[in-house]
This record gives sequence, structure tokens and C-alpha cells, in this order.
Amino acid sequence: MQRDNYKNERDKYFKEIENLNHPNETLVKTHCSYCAMQCGMNLRVNTKTNKIIGVEPRYDWPVTLGKMCPKGVTAYQQVNNKDRLLKPLIRDDQSLKGTKNGFREASWDEAYDLIVKKFTELQTTYGKDSLSVYSGVSMTNEKCYLTGKFARVGLQTRYIDYNGRFCMASAAGGLNRSLGIDRGSTIPWTDVHETDCIFLAGSNTAECHPTMMFRVWAIQERGGYVIVADPRETPVARRADLHLDLKPGTDLALANGIVNLLIQNGYADEEFVKNHTNGFEETKELVKEFTPEYTSEITGVAPEKIIRAAELYGKAPNAIVMFARGIEQQIKGVDNVSAYTNMALVTGKIGRAKSGVATITGQGNGQGGREHGQKADALPGYRKIANPDHVKYVSKVWGIEPEEMPKEGVSAFEMFGLMEQKTIRSLYLLCSNPAVSAPDQNYVREQMKNLDFMVCVDFFLSESAEFADVVLPTTTWAEDEGTTTNVEGRIIKINRAQMPLGESKPDWQIQIEIAERLGRGKYFSHLKTSKDVFNELRVASKGGTADYYGVTWEKIDKQDGVFWPCKDESDPGTPHLFLDKKFNHPDGKAKILALPYRPSAEEPDEKYPLRLTTGRVVYHYLSGNQTRRIQFLRDMCPEPFVEVHPETAEKYSIEHEEYVRLYTRRGEATYKVKITEAIRKDTVFVPYHWGHEKSINLLTIGALDPYSRMPEFKTCAAQIEKMKTRAVQ
Amino acid sequence: MKKRLYLELENCIGCRSCLAACTQCGGHEERNRNYVYDVNPLVNRQTMPLMCLHCVNPACARSCPAQAIQIHETGAVLSALVEKCIGCQNCTIACPYGIPKFDTEQNLMYKCDLCIDRSKDGIPPMCASVCPSNTLQWLTDEEIEAKQKQFNLDNGKWVTSMPYLEGETNVRVNLPGILQGVTKLF
Repeated sequence: MQRDNYKNERDKYFKEIENLNHPNETLVKTHCSYCAMQCGMNLRVNTKTNKIIGVEPRYDWPVTLGKMCPKGVTAYQQVNNKDRLLKPLIRDDQSLKGTKNGFREASWDEAYDLIVKKFTELQTTYGKDSLSVYSGVSMTNEKCYLTGKFARVGLQTRYIDYNGRFCMASAAGGLNRSLGIDRGSTIPWTDVHETDCIFLAGSNTAECHPTMMFRVWAIQERGGYVIVADPRETPVARRADLHLDLKPGTDLALANGIVNLLIQNGYADEEFVKNHTNGFEETKELVKEFTPEYTSEITGVAPEKIIRAAELYGKAPNAIVMFARGIEQQIKGVDNVSAYTNMALVTGKIGRAKSGVATITGQGNGQGGREHGQKADALPGYRKIANPDHVKYVSKVWGIEPEEMPKEGVSAFEMFGLMEQKTIRSLYLLCSNPAVSAPDQNYVREQMKNLDFMVCVDFFLSESAEFADVVLPTTTWAEDEGTTTNVEGRIIKINRAQMPLGESKPDWQIQIEIAERLGRGKYFSHLKTSKDVFNELRVASKGGTADYYGVTWEKIDKQDGVFWPCKDESDPGTPHLFLDKKFNHPDGKAKILALPYRPSAEEPDEKYPLRLTTGRVVYHYLSGNQTRRIQFLRDMCPEPFVEVHPETAEKYSIEHEEYVRLYTRRGEATYKVKITEAIRKDTVFVPYHWGHEKSINLLTIGALDPYSRMPEFKTCAAQIEKMKTRAVQ
Repeated sequence: MKKRLYLELENCIGCRSCLAACTQCGGHEERNRNYVYDVNPLVNRQTMPLMCLHCVNPACARSCPAQAIQIHETGAVLSALVEKCIGCQNCTIACPYGIPKFDTEQNLMYKCDLCIDRSKDGIPPMCASVCPSNTLQWLTDEEIEAKQKQFNLDNGKWVTSMPYLEGETNVRVNLPGILQGVTKLF
């Protein structure tokens, strides 16, 4: 492997700044709890009360240099929030499921006894696989790893999956298929401002990953170009050199159209294509059809803009293609990822500094959390259950026989289908809030309501906890330590700033205690600390694609994080991927893929003429279970809204701030209208951070990508109706 | 080395992190003291912050009959002294930018003091520390001069680096339009 000259250099933005120290306070270095930017921050801890009381910038963190978005600044307000769950809750009256009512406080022993009794009864009657685990990746690698082991060894069920199916699964699928490896970014983020052209597809970067914006703007300041493909003129699109305002769900055509022009206009790197890729000729043939005019017909983007985009990307000495949920949350999300990756592979703009491909990971540990075995088909180190050698290796680490390893399960959304069929009768839910975040909410809530028994582990009483029989109080991110893997593939350290509030316990400890009570203690009891869990993860990932063996907590501290793969203790890690132009397919070549266009699961028609798309606002994170409880964020954005173009509004005779009924084939909800020219006339947008009757996911569709099993949140057919009387909210 | 708050309005993404951070400096009673405006909300997503510009000859202080608004040796125009402020609100009217806010319960004016506990020692104020888009920066005069030069278009059509808005200010501003003069790489 070629040597990576990357030093964790303090780039031109770095300034030596000392933090202000308040009296009777100490600062604990850590990272934000929310997105995968994992901004560095210092938590202010009062040394008398030992409680977290505030935040200070972490100027010396090389990725974000003290910068934080409004969620980051106020993240600490989760920890001692008045809504924190401090004791286990039990609900005896099942008829109250789906409401906040009927819970009583209980001791951990009583809660554990009930869980073990119910789990054992169900497994005795209906088999081991009647239990399921639904997890998330807004938690440390240690917890994600242990959750996989807890499901397969502790509960002995095959049914485990996680909320990355709504987040990163399509990026993972596409990158694996194109490059043979799924590390979200081929470059460190400190390269971003130094590139000459950034192509952002389906990323509302300024709202979802604000702290990379100073690097994006710097590209333009230097005379480089920013190209944004998005149905909405988001804050980053507003200032972009080129905004490709495509119809939701048509990315595959746009990418094919650009790749066609790159090839036709001589921007292909023939040497690179010949030596390091397969599939060029087939792709060249397929994309021929995607002339600017034909591409424009499908996408709604003017042909001149498509031509200009190809010209800019093609001419740029260095260029980065980045994409996010906008292209991934479609039934062709995996194809979209590969199609945009084709741009880099055809032109050879990958495998060197300042050029490459990246998915802008959503959740804090969206990267690490998908590598270590809480995915239905995966084992630690990005190993696969379908591969007998992989099963053999991990079984040995876990101390079980390979035959005891449960088979592959099903994806997150498909678990609800198995609940409907009564194959799955019980759910252990942690780190996720599907009663807000899953598509087709009426269906999903019905399945959760009909479960025989449900456990929810959270630090707030989420909308999903309202369906549980037992709610266990866990810790916030600042009350436990461990590692996460950020947007770059850099493994970093989360530190504990406060002891767990009330009787709350970290997830890993809860799982070990349940496993012990289920008689599976011999596989878990040796893990006394989260560091013990990490050290077991290192061994379990050794030799896998996502090899963490050479990563230690000490090394992370010493070199400001470690990029995987990191194979042994002398290995500093791998900031840039493919510097030797060796891709991770067996022949060392990347795949340029010929991907025929196909329409969305639900195209607009006469009855439902609008395209509904969903996304985030800068003030809230995912299902809003955390951010809706923080005063500043709630003040800034208290409720969802529907963005409508003024011409569309006129057609429906609706006005700014009027409430309207928005509906699809699956459900309906009432929203306040926000009129803006910054959206296509055929598209409406609603942010998804709210639950109950305000959830836009009552309307979204549960159609899945055939490879990643990711639902098509980003487009379905909808209709607006003016309210007869003004709704009182 | 003296540093100043420097605003590049073109960069603003409307995240209002500056307002969130303003509540977190440890000395602002968790109230934010500045503003971010939607420039044309029904049309596009353009936003811009309106921060106290810390005038060299501040109208707020001049208008104060009780001399409650002090000017720090660094040039920062401080929030009203609790013991002196009589709650007349002259300052809120006098300020050409509408910066001072008024607490009716405490009958007290409050405004940005550039996080004086920090900025007096060269530490950037909270807003400029966290600003994700580099709309708010904390720079030396040399750095600001380079910026002004870089963005001085001098084409008679578009002026971004005006010396001052209304009288000389300690905070320096570049108005939207900075990219108009950038020479493209290719």
C-alpha cells in the first residue's frame, strides 16, 4: 500500500486559542451527540455538583475547529433535562398501548424479571426467533457491537436490524458494489476546502451538516465551483455556482446524463479506466441514451445546466462528489450512489488527495454502527453471515459453535411485516424512534401495538416508548465513554462528563445484565467496562474489511482520531483510501456500473399530482425526540410546515401560514403553509421531526430499494386540500 | 495582537448558531443579544446576522442620560450597568441598527458586549467561535485588510467592502456580493 502523507495537520484555519475557564469548573473534551460531523466540543462540568452545566468550543479539534450548529451548542441540555427517565417503567394494562398513560415506576430487578419471564415464555412457545431487536447508530461502537452480540448470543434470535436502514443502507450498498468497501468517505474532511469543484447531490448540507459549510464556501472563495443537485433551493444551493433543480426521485437519470457528457466530451481518464476499473464500455453504451434533452425530460433540469455541470466537473483538476439521503432514500438509492460514483470513476477523480467520493453520513455513528454487526446480514468488521468463514471467525471470538450463529434476519422495515404475520412477537427497541421515523406510520404503529411484549430503552419517553410494556432508562452520550466513527471514517473518542442521572444505565450494561439473567452470562460477564467491549470489538473486527484491531483509545487521543482500516498497533490508520489505486474488489478494480433508469414507486397522477419529499431543518435531529425538548431549538422551529411554491399555492387558493390538509394513499396530516419560491412547482416539502398526528411519515411510502431495503422517503404522490374551516392547532 | 469581529454576510446559512451560542458564554444570563434576519422569506433562503457593530462613537452611549453604557478599553460597547440603567430605552431608539434589547421585567437594557470576559484576552466571542459558515470571524487588522482587498471589486458596480456603514465601527463588515470579484480557477 502506498504511504499516505496525510498528517493530521492543522490546516490554514487552525488557530491556537485557549479556552475560557470559569471558576469551579472543569472542561471535558468530547464530541457532539448528533450527526456524523461529530463536532468537537468541551462540556463544562461544575466541580462541586459534578453536573454538566454548559458547553465551550473545542478549538483544537482539526475537523471542526470549535464550530458548532445550534443543535451542538445546546446538546448538553439533554443530559439534565426535566424529561429524563430516571427509573424503569412498567405498564400492566396493555389496553393503554400507544399512549403515554399507565406507566408505573419499578425497580431494575422487577423490570428485568418481567423481561426475562416474557422473553422466555415467548421463546419456549414460539421459538427463539419470536424476539427481535431494533437498534440505532446514534450511539458508540461499543454499544452497537454489543447489541449485535446481545441479539445473536444473548437472545439467540436472527431478527436484529437497525435504523441505518432509513439512513445509510443505500450508501453502504452502492459503495460496496462500486468500490468494494463501504467507508463513507475516501478522503478526510480537511481536504474538502482544497478541492476545485464539489458536487453535492441530495444534501441539504447547510442545515444537516452545517459545520462543513466554511470549507464548502472556501472552495468558491478560491475560484472553485459548488454544484448542488436538489429539488429545493436550500441555503447551500442558493449560493452554488450551479443548482440542478431536479424532480425528486430522478437522480439516476441526472447522473447518467452527466456521465454520458463526461464521456462524450473527452473528460474520461482512459488510462485510469483501463487499469483500475471494469464496466466502462457497457456503461458508455447505456448512458448514450441520456442526452441532455432526454435527461432534462425526466429530471426537469434545463439541458444547459446539465451540460454546464458536466463541463465544470470534467474540467476541475480535483473534484469531490458527495451525496446524502436525498439520493439514497429512494427505491433506487443504491443505483443512485453507484451512478454518482461513476462520475469519479470515469474521470479518475478518486484515489488521491482532494478528489474522491463521500456520502455525508447522517447519524453520529452511522459509519461505525453499520460495521460491527447490528445489521440483519452482518457481523463485526463488516463480515457477512452468509459467509461460513466469517461466521466461523466471529463464533470463535464469541465462544459459540458456528452452528449456533443465527441466520440472516430481515431489514428494519420488513420486521414490521413479520410482526404483522406474528413471526416476530416481541421487540427490544433501543436508540431509535420508529413511531416517528419509519414510513407508513399507520401501518407501523398498528404492528407495534399488536406485539405480545415490547421493551423500549431510551432516556426520554419517546413516541415509540408509548407502545412499550417496559421502558428502561438509559444514559445520554455524555454519561458514558466509548468511540464513534465519524463522517470521514475517523474513529474518535466520546468521553464521560457526568455520572448517569437517576438510576439510568448505559445500554451495554443493561444488555449484559439481561443476558446474565437469561443464563447467557458466560458470554458477557467478562465485559466489565466499555473499554473491555471495545477491546473485544477490535479482535472481532480483525481481518475484516472494517479492521479496527490496531485502534486503541490511547492512539485515538494521541493522533486526533484513527481512520480505519487500521490493522495493527504500528499502523497509523488510513485517511485517504485507494492512494495505490487498488480498490477492494478481488481483482483490485472498481466497478463502473451500467444502471438503467426506472421511475419511483409512486409517480404523480391525476388524483395525487404533487411530489411529496421530506427532510430536516437545522434545528432538529431525526425523530426530534431529543431536540424537541430543548427550549432554544423548539423556539426556533416549534412545528412542522409544508413548503409550497407560490404558483402552486395560487392554484390551490392557499395562503402563507394557512393550515392545509396534505394527504397520500396512506395517510393525511394538517400543516401550516410556508410559501417559498425555493422549491419546484411540482413538489412539496415537509420536515419529519414530529410525531403523533404531525408526523409526515403518516403519508410516506414503505416501498423499499431491492438491495439496501431502504424506504423511499424522498418521493411519493400527494395532494393538498384547502381546509374548510381554519384548523385550531 | 488586537482582533476584531468581522462579518461576511454572504456566508450566512441561517442556522442561528450565533444566537444559541450567545446564550452560552457564561455571562449573558442565557439570553441572546443579536439578530438573524430572513432577508426575503417568501422568495429564498437568504439570511443575515445583525450584530452590534461596536461603534467608535456609539449612539446608544451618547443617548444614555445615566451614562449606563460604558466603553471598554478594547472598544467594546458594553451592556448597560444594572445599577445605572434607568430603563428609559433611549438607546434602543438611538442605535441606527436597532441592537439594544429591553427587558421589561427588570426594566433594563441589555446588548452584546462582545463576550468581554473572552475578547479582552483575545478569545473570540461565542458567536464567532461557533459560526459554522465563517459569517462571523475573529481576525487581526492585517487579516481583515487582506479580506477587504480580496473582495474589493472596484468595478463601480458592486461594493462590498465599505469602510463603515454609519460612522466608524470596531466590527468590520463585508456586505453580500463578495464572490462577484473572484477570478474563477478554470
